[in-house]
Amino acid sequence: MTPMSQQPPIEQGAAGAPRALAIETRALTKRFGERTAINGVDLRVPAGSAFGFLGPNGAGKTTMIRMLLGLTQADSGTMALLGRPLPAQRAAALAQVGAIVEEPRFHPQLSGEENLRIIAAARGAQVRARIGGALERVGLAARGDEKVKRYSLGMRQRLGVARCLLADPKLLILDEPTNGLDPGGIQEFRQMIRAMVEEEGRTVFLSSHLLDEVEKICDAAAIVDRGRVVAQGPIAELAAGASRQELIIGVDDQALALRALQASALVADVRSEEGALRVALSGDPSCAAALNAELVRAGVGVMRLEPVRQSLEQRFLEVVSGLRAPEQGGAHEVRAAEGLQRCEDGGAGR
Amino acid sequence: MSTEPSAVQATDQQARRSAGRGGAPGRPSYVAVAAQMVGADVLKLRKKLGIMIWSSVLALGPLVIFFIVRAAQHASNAAKYPPAGGMSGFHDSIRLLALFFGPLAAILIGVEAGAGDVAAGVFRDLVATGRSRLALFASRVPAALLIALLITTISYALLAICTYALASGSATPDATLMLNGYGFSVLATLVVATVAVGFGALSASRPAALTVLIGWQLVASPILAAVSSLGSARKPLLSEAIANFSPIAVGGAHGGSVAMSEGTALAVLALWLVVFTALGAWRTRTMDA
Repeated sequence: MTPMSQQPPIEQGAAGAPRALAIETRALTKRFGERTAINGVDLRVPAGSAFGFLGPNGAGKTTMIRMLLGLTQADSGTMALLGRPLPAQRAAALAQVGAIVEEPRFHPQLSGEENLRIIAAARGAQVRARIGGALERVGLAARGDEKVKRYSLGMRQRLGVARCLLADPKLLILDEPTNGLDPGGIQEFRQMIRAMVEEEGRTVFLSSHLLDEVEKICDAAAIVDRGRVVAQGPIAELAAGASRQELIIGVDDQALALRALQASALVADVRSEEGALRVALSGDPSCAAALNAELVRAGVGVMRLEPVRQSLEQRFLEVVSGLRAPEQGGAHEVRAAEGLQRCEDGGAGR
Repeated sequence: MSTEPSAVQATDQQARRSAGRGGAPGRPSYVAVAAQMVGADVLKLRKKLGIMIWSSVLALGPLVIFFIVRAAQHASNAAKYPPAGGMSGFHDSIRLLALFFGPLAAILIGVEAGAGDVAAGVFRDLVATGRSRLALFASRVPAALLIALLITTISYALLAICTYALASGSATPDATLMLNGYGFSVLATLVVATVAVGFGALSASRPAALTVLIGWQLVASPILAAVSSLGSARKPLLSEAIANFSPIAVGGAHGGSVAMSEGTALAVLALWLVVFTALGAWRTRTMDA
């Protein structure tokens, strides 16, 4: 691996202000024999945000996390945590990182508090004083002296979070952290993550295959499939970036409107649906105005024109399934790009 | 779960004060960290009840049975059977402890120390703290030695008590011999425990490490030692090198049948210790966690 610059990486924030990166990887690759688990991943996680790492099972999420934590070595590429290049400054970087990798595991013969003492001992002389506070934070203060073998999976998850907090981390890396939590626990967990980000300024990197969880907790996300990051950015932009932009259009004459829409270069697909027309645009949502003008010129009275809200789930399924059928997905992306170009030309693609 | 940040942050000031005790504030003493890590490994071992019970049973049980049977035999026919204690009892019992069951107990303890974190699945969490993998391995060795030393000392105390209490007026070992016997028992146990830590870490599997080490120590070594045609090729056997330091004659199936100088015996012990600690450290450093 080539060393990464030791300057803290900076990214432009939403307002154009420079924003440090908590995680940065470039062309990171990991192979297991013939199989490439992580394939040239470029990842940029802004500091002070909750960042989702989304992907189906086996997409490479856990392998990525294991490389970031030094649990397994990368074959090529560079990575940095909190501005510190890995593996050169691994110890200093990980001293500020708390992590849960897969299912939290503990010594079952020890109590929750004793298990935290084991990690505190490895983290340094000063960390032991944080054990009580960490147990209290996750609601296990009253059961900290109970042996872990008697803990439920949900309690182990909480203890895993407490173990992360021992580092007083600037960055938390959580791999499927809500597994085993009941609905109330999941709700509390979400609130806790948001509090860590908004009130304490920590960065949370959350790997999950649960779209709803990521959409509710995270500010931004990356979608990974078959070892490749196929999309990343703020959640709203990711969802809005779905290549299939759709409108619901209510008109006075459906047959006339249908003919006009089918002839339009701005339209990828159109179908009648519950008294209105559902139109898939071949360009971005700004094409809606041009399309409206086309309909009016064709003599159609437009009574309603409403964008269909895109969800992260739609985007996820589109991207992932697009990779699974590369010819279809690729054609779709090309068509979307062409449509965008036509819109930028003033909708004069006809 | 609490969304209040104060619980952890409130303890940070206290944490920094604690850090200051080990050295300069914000620069925790390496000695303090090492002591904490060894303490943590001791905690893991002593709370592993199965290991503690079975290693105690292995170290103490045979001695108890030995002295009870010998005492019963002597009581039933004093002319035919010597006293359970005295010099005769000391010789036999020290062979039991130092060359047979003590090392077995040490294997249990050492393998648990070497492979316990991987088996429990917490090795990855320890690595993720950023602490050097070599430091994680290094802290296991003294922890295993402390537990093995404790069990050997308790067993030897029982041996000494029985040697004197059941002597029935026969000759007893003097203080020097008793001390030498203790030193020999400790040496045997600690060398085997260290090798077991290294081998446990190397194999990263408790069942595999236990099977191989016990098989080697109880079956392969005695058989190889008994094959006189192998001549000096038997000198590298660990049990033979250990037996060379015995304060009493211990020739027989469980070591002491191969003549070698003290220098050679020391070199053999050093070789075993260096090779297996190095292999254990290498594996801990390079394995996927």
